[in-house]
Amino acid sequence: MTEARRLSLILAVALAALAAIFAGPYVLDTYSVNVLTRSLLYAAVALTVDLLWGFLGILTFGQSVFFACGAYAAGLVFTHMDFSTSNAFLALGLGVGGALLVAAIVGWLAFWHGASALYASVITLVLPIVATQLLYSGGTFTGSSSGLSGFMSFDLSMEAWFWLSGSFLVGVTTLAYIFVKSDAGRLLVAVRENEQRCKYLGLDTSRLKILVYLACAAIAAVAGYIYAGYAMVVAPELAGFVFGTELVIWTALGGRGTLLGPVFGALIVDYESAQLAGDYPFVWQLIIGTLFVLVIVAFPRGLLPVVFDVPRKLLGLLRPRTAAPATSVTLSTLDPASTQGVEPGDGPALAVADVVKRFGSLTVLEGIDFEARAGELVSLVGPNGAGKTTLMRCIADGAERSAGTIKVNGYDIGRKPPEACVALGVGRKFQMANVFETLTVAQCLQIARVRHARPSLWRRASDLPLPEAAMHVLATTGLDRQLATPAHLLSHGMKQALELSMVLALEPRVLLLDEPTAGLTKTERMQIGAILIDLAKKQGLCVLLVEHDLDFVREISSRVIVLHQGRIVLDGSVEEVVASELVKQVYAGSGHAGIDHETAPTPSQEMPA
Amino acid sequence: MIGQMLDIVTTAAILYAVATGLLLVFGVMKIINFAHGGLMTLGGYAALVTTQAGLNPWLAIPAAALFGGVVGMGIERFVVRPLYNRPLDAILATWGLSIIIGQLITIAFGRGVQFAASPLNGTLDLFGESYSAYRLALVGIAAVLGIALTALLQGTRLGLETRAVIMNEDLARGLGINSGLVRFLTFTLGSALAGVAGALITPLSSVDPGMGVPWLVNAFMLVLVSGASLLSLLFACLVLGGAQVLVATHFSPVLGGLTIAVLAAVILRIRPKGFARD
Repeated sequence: MTEARRLSLILAVALAALAAIFAGPYVLDTYSVNVLTRSLLYAAVALTVDLLWGFLGILTFGQSVFFACGAYAAGLVFTHMDFSTSNAFLALGLGVGGALLVAAIVGWLAFWHGASALYASVITLVLPIVATQLLYSGGTFTGSSSGLSGFMSFDLSMEAWFWLSGSFLVGVTTLAYIFVKSDAGRLLVAVRENEQRCKYLGLDTSRLKILVYLACAAIAAVAGYIYAGYAMVVAPELAGFVFGTELVIWTALGGRGTLLGPVFGALIVDYESAQLAGDYPFVWQLIIGTLFVLVIVAFPRGLLPVVFDVPRKLLGLLRPRTAAPATSVTLSTLDPASTQGVEPGDGPALAVADVVKRFGSLTVLEGIDFEARAGELVSLVGPNGAGKTTLMRCIADGAERSAGTIKVNGYDIGRKPPEACVALGVGRKFQMANVFETLTVAQCLQIARVRHARPSLWRRASDLPLPEAAMHVLATTGLDRQLATPAHLLSHGMKQALELSMVLALEPRVLLLDEPTAGLTKTERMQIGAILIDLAKKQGLCVLLVEHDLDFVREISSRVIVLHQGRIVLDGSVEEVVASELVKQVYAGSGHAGIDHETAPTPSQEMPA
Repeated sequence: MIGQMLDIVTTAAILYAVATGLLLVFGVMKIINFAHGGLMTLGGYAALVTTQAGLNPWLAIPAAALFGGVVGMGIERFVVRPLYNRPLDAILATWGLSIIIGQLITIAFGRGVQFAASPLNGTLDLFGESYSAYRLALVGIAAVLGIALTALLQGTRLGLETRAVIMNEDLARGLGINSGLVRFLTFTLGSALAGVAGALITPLSSVDPGMGVPWLVNAFMLVLVSGASLLSLLFACLVLGGAQVLVATHFSPVLGGLTIAVLAAVILRIRPKGFARD
């Protein structure tokens, strides 16, 4: 399906939904229209919960506060300043502005570099509790526990409010749907799946989270503003924890990460609540609670996917399975002239001076001092626990080391986070293959290119230009024929190759490789080795390689650094290291064994010291 | 001054009694039991039924422990066990259970506010200040709870296995510890403690279907800043509970109600480990 056809299909469905909204008041009774107007607005807020929780992985209990921001802005302005057109705009501005301000504060608290998912949820849990208490203590200004009522509002008919709410819901749902299916929207899933890899691909994930959070706050505030205009009453419960959790319940029941599931979940549950709450209030709550627990335990994807899967499976029984869709992305090679990466500064590609790393009283690295030029392929060897991986971490994340300076391309990395180190030209491949498991090969590579090519907010790119080095790895390993394969289906070796090409797509100047050949077959290892030599010689990359296989090291390195107990014990050519008595002692412990590959430690699951 | 000191100590004791069950479950299972509030409500109603039946009000405590423990067993087996690998989902599912417990109680007892008889009435003279006898008794009860739990964790084989599971579950399993059983017993004990906490607070507040919820968030925040240690929980209760009393008396009760949650959030922002030691 072409891009234009995909987008027109989405728009056609949106138009059909708008038509249904328009027909609503003519086929529904007055009571239903009245109740559904509210449900439509709640559904828009549930949509924001889904964007945050279902896509970005942030479980939020506090979207109710942003809804209340919009509602109270209208209530306060219309109560204390009279209703007029200019005041209506003022209230909207105050509502959205207030919501954005609160969201910015919450985002600063909850999404800082290194905050856990639980901590972010805790902050969103505290938010509604603080907000309701503030509204309670607002005296006559906020109306305290009874809220504000009896203010003037827009003079619209009930049908018009229904149409307004419905169009708002269809509008934001359509935009959100186009966004999450776009190249930019895929970043949300990538952050949820593997935030660490995102950071090391140069993406500022904290900023992305805050931006999405701000957008969601604004949507909820507008919904709240419309709500206050139509209901003409606002109460502290709108900001409450109970409403906040109800939104989560609707999202979970409908199906997180589906957008339409939460919308229908909110519409159906809220509408039915209004219908049944009068006759069986407690039983209805009991049913919802039971259903919620059941869905969380047994159907974590929610009910919408279940509803859709059944007919799909039935159809599948009738029709033979169609072939998997051909990949819609075509690769191309970028002009080598434009993929030189960061402009080199003065001096060596990598300069490590007097770096120390301590964990409490334990010193893991001490007095690490070396320089590496562009075009060098330096191997870091040493027994387990020598501090090799720790040194890699210190180069790729400025916050890691305890003392010393590290310069990449002549730029001091200071205390910069990983994404800023990537911007200076560092590319790090992890020891364990670290890719986005649920995304396809092509999508993983697209995310690696986000730093260079800003992804579209509404389109999906059909071509993916990659630097020559990345293309070379893909072609050599045959990954270019598996572009549509989800990463979790790849073999271990293929995942390693995928991660390597993702890192190369960053156009790094300093390439950090932590045991890139661990667990690979002999052939695969030779392929990777040839590629690495090529990268250093032809592309002028500075490659730093942690490796246990000394045969491999001997074949490809231009220089070897031996680490032992956190110190550099030898820094020299391959021949020097191989001939060194000291190295034999380091590896064998007592000094009478050779450095043959038989006695070399096998690559093991080394825990970073 | 003396009165305020006593307020701080007794408030800390109440918070400690309310949070221990949650702490135990969080420490061992790494999940937040949002049914804690619902189980407290259950304990409160157990106390109500006990006293309404004309039994000695002190019997409310074992009765509440029984109710909480039995319901906790069911919750662990059918809801929490499938969610060990999904900690955020476990929060949601246990919150759903809280709703279920609240609605079942509403259907059985109605929405109205009721009052349970207090086991201790009147005041005691302490340092020249006449102070509620029951609040003072709570300090003793919280101390007994803390000492008993510490003895259980430090002095018994089950305690040793539990501590092993807290530190490194995979290794503990590799050494032949039945971590499933440890989790089951821990959750049961934590739920029983929630019931006890519910019974303990009934003489101080009313009994209604939503009585546990306001306590839940404070207990939750205290547990998060304490990590998995009963000692740092005591410290957190004294510091944050003390701050709550001071803010409530000197500024406003509304701000006092927010003190624990806001302070805990800020503490965790500055020091993610909270009061837990390295």
